[in-house]
Formats: sequence, C-alpha cells, structure tokens
Amino acid sequence: MADPADTRDAPLIAPIERTGRGFYLTVGILLAFIVWGAVAYWTQFTEGLGVTGLHQPVSWGFYVTNFVFFIGISHAGTLISAILRLSKAEWRRPVVRMAEVITVMVLFIGAGQILVDLGRPDRMLNIIRHGRYQSPLLWDATSISAYLTASIVYLYIPMIPDIAILRDRVGKRKLLYTVLAMGWRGTVHQQRVLNRAIAIMAVLVIPIAVSVHTVVSFVFSMTLQPMWHSTIFGPYFVVGAIFSGIAALIVAMVAFRKAYGLQGYLKPIHFRYLGQLLLVMSLLWFYFTFAEYLTGYYGNEPEEMKVFQAKFTGPYWPFFWGMALTNFVIPVLCLVRLGRRTIGKVLLASLSVTVGMWLERFIIVVPTLSNPRLPFGEGIYAPTWVEWGELAGSLALFALFYVLFTKIFPVISIWEIREGRDVGLKEVEERLRTYLPDTPEAGVVPAARGH
Amino acid sequence: MANLRAAPDRTVRVIQWGMAGVAVVFIGGIITWIAHLIRTAWRLGDVPSASIGISLVAIPVFLTLLGVILYVFVGLLRDRGER
Repeated sequence: MADPADTRDAPLIAPIERTGRGFYLTVGILLAFIVWGAVAYWTQFTEGLGVTGLHQPVSWGFYVTNFVFFIGISHAGTLISAILRLSKAEWRRPVVRMAEVITVMVLFIGAGQILVDLGRPDRMLNIIRHGRYQSPLLWDATSISAYLTASIVYLYIPMIPDIAILRDRVGKRKLLYTVLAMGWRGTVHQQRVLNRAIAIMAVLVIPIAVSVHTVVSFVFSMTLQPMWHSTIFGPYFVVGAIFSGIAALIVAMVAFRKAYGLQGYLKPIHFRYLGQLLLVMSLLWFYFTFAEYLTGYYGNEPEEMKVFQAKFTGPYWPFFWGMALTNFVIPVLCLVRLGRRTIGKVLLASLSVTVGMWLERFIIVVPTLSNPRLPFGEGIYAPTWVEWGELAGSLALFALFYVLFTKIFPVISIWEIREGRDVGLKEVEERLRTYLPDTPEAGVVPAARGH
Repeated sequence: MANLRAAPDRTVRVIQWGMAGVAVVFIGGIITWIAHLIRTAWRLGDVPSASIGISLVAIPVFLTLLGVILYVFVGLLRDRGER
C-alpha cells in the first residue's frame, strides 16, 4: 500500500517537501490579521467587554454569530465526507481529506469564540466545577467535545497509510511521521482494522454531526425569545450548516487546486457535483427560511412581529435581504446551469453562500436580542473594531491552521487515490453489475407468466 | 547500529502507547466530569432527571469513540512486525 518507490502522486507530496515564496507571503498576511485579532482580544481582556458593542439587551453579537457560523462550517467535512464514503461515491477520493481537515480546524475556532465572548474568562473553570447539566449551554459543550473528538479520530485514521508514505519518502519530521504511522506496513490485518474503523466512524460521525448543530440551535430555541422559540430550529440549523460547509469546502478546494497545482486531481467534475449539492442545499435552505418566517408572520404574535419587522423593513433589513440575495438568488443563478466555466460559477456561488450564511447567523442572533420579550426597550447593536478584529483574526487563524496542515500532511488522500486507480475501477464495475437486473442469456426467452 | 535503531524504536513505541493513554485519560476525564455534574444535580435536587437523560446519550457516544481509538491503536501496533 505504501510503496516508497511509487512516484505517481508526487504533486501531492511536493507541498510538504518544498516551500515557495507564496507560502511565506500567505502566512505573513494571515499573521497580520491574527495580530489584529490578538490586539483586539487583549484590549477586551484588560478593559472588559465595554470596549465591544455588546450591551443590554444585545449581549450576544459577533462572537455568538461567529460561534454558530464556524460550528456550521464544520459540517463540511465530516458529514459530507462520511456520506460520500458510506454511499461509495467514487468521486469523493480527492475531496474527503480537505473536508475532514476543515471540520477539525474550524471546530477549534468555533469553540474558541465562546471563550472570547466571556467577560471573565478566569471564571471559566466554574463551568466545569459547578455546571448545571440541564442547561443547553452545557449540552453544547458536551456535543462539541464529542464532535471534535470524533472528527479528529475520523481525520486521523484514514491518514495513517499516507503518514506511512511520508515516513518512508520524506526526509524530514521522521519522528513525527514514524509515531503517527502506528507501524503501518499495509498488512492484510492492518488494512482490515483500518477499513473497519473508518466504516464505524463514518456511521458514528453522521448522527454526532447532526446532533451538534441541533444542540447549537437549542441554545436559542429552548428560550421563549421571539423568533427563537421554534421547533424547526434544529433541522433549520443543520441544513444551514451543511449548506455553509459545502461552500467552505469548495472555496478551500479552489484555493489549494490553484496554490499546489492540483488540477489533475480536482477536476471540473468534482466542482460540478459539489455545485449540484450546493444548489439542492440552497433550495432546502430557502424552504426552511420561508417556513420559519411564514409561521411567525401568520401567528402575528406582537413580540414576534417586532422582530419580524426589524428584519424585513427595520434597522436589520440590509442584513436580511443581503442574506436572501447571497444564500438564494446568487447561488441559484450561478448553479442552475453549469455549462462552461463550471469552477468559476461554483466558486462565486460558494463565496456568496459563505457570506450569506454568516449574515443568516447574525440575523438570527441579533434582532431578537434587540427586541426581547422582557421590557428592556429596543437596543441597536453596532460592533466596534474589537469585534471586527476578532472576526478577521478568527478567519485568518482558521486559514493559517489549514495552510500549516497542508505543509505537514497531504491535503488529498494519496492511498485513496491509488486505491481508486488500482482496484476502484474493477470494484465499481462489479458493484454496478449487482445493481442491474439479471439479464437472461442471449437466445433464452424467459417464460411468460400466465394470469 | 542495531542498538541505535532499537532506542528510537522503543521511544516511538512509548510515545504511541502514550497517545493511547492520553485518549483514555481525555475521554475518561469527560465521563468523570459528566458523572460529577449528575452528582451535583442530585445533591442539590436540581432536576437530576435532565442531567441523567443527557448523560445516557453522551456517555455511550464517548465510550464508543474510545473503543474505536483503542481498536485502531491495538490493531495496528500489535501487527507492526508482519508484512
């Protein structure tokens, strides 16, 4: 399985062996944003949350928006990868690793947003010592811990054969690769263990991923706040998460395809299939959004209508209609007909959805808090440079983690590509035969059944 | 030369089994924490049924994850000599 003499997939190892100027430039730019985020956090840490735009009644602003957004993007990975693996979609091979990496990296960033949101992070240990387990916030902590653990395992296990290739071929980081390769030699027993573990994880990770975003939605829907107390919030959040996850995956694919010259692996057909998935999710997202808002509007409950009006025609209208434009109108126009320039259209739709899903999270979190059920009076939220810095820093940190990962491990699964070439074609043919109806031998007419 | 090779190999093995140990401690720690939350809820009469209900889902998930991790570690490390 891990033949060091096999150089067919040298482009996948090249980014690990060689580092160009582009890498340092990218890291430099990302570090500049991370420094901005660090300065912003230090200012907040030393002076308190008063330096942000957060106040009463809007006590959740950018940070909780970012939290929901990043946790949502994490569905890229594991969920899409697991579904494609289980359904034996052959086109998954160059895609799954990128998706799995997104999940792990972005979960760290997402969970970190909650720490940033704490006015007194020094009291964080109290959550562990004196937590109340009937609180949805602790359900979140538990489900995200489970998801992060599962995602790390699900990323690591399929990487073992590739790490063994690096151990045998790459001259640097010998100890790291030797340790992580787990003595992989590609024996029949080892392959059986690996395949069984991947299959178990692929099944396990889907309900975990779905439950995570459902639990994230519970943080809102378990309250009685207007336009939060909704039974469809769970599936609505899950659909949005998968939607934003696919978009983030496509953006990452286009970026690394260009940066590492992976045109031979990530072909227009991969973008076409993912683009079709994105289109389906855009329509599903529209359906859930329409159902959610129609129910609120039809009920005409005064407190709900205040939030409804704030979103449609009030101070938050640019965000709401911007969300509709970027999550529905632009993606549908781009994806409904993928003829020429497939990659460009899919990328445009994905960038649009990435912005749109952040707006969606914002439009869920802030207008309700601006118009709470309790008699607080209306509050308008305006983020300061601190929150903008945190947002920029978080996005840059995610990108930096991702780029650094690709300098240590292959961003496309080498062994899965080889497996596809060597045994996949034959397997697909055999599998296809099992799907098709049995064909009678030539010249033999099946007996007619009399009725 | 053989000794030089043997030492890093032993180090590698120790680190690898150490990783398995970290997984046990990490997941064991989470399960202990969940048990602590249930105990606190029980002691304070603070809706322990909710805590128990959530933990009935959470603990088996973590145990299954630990099972998969140990299955991979033991399955691969015990077979390292054969080709």
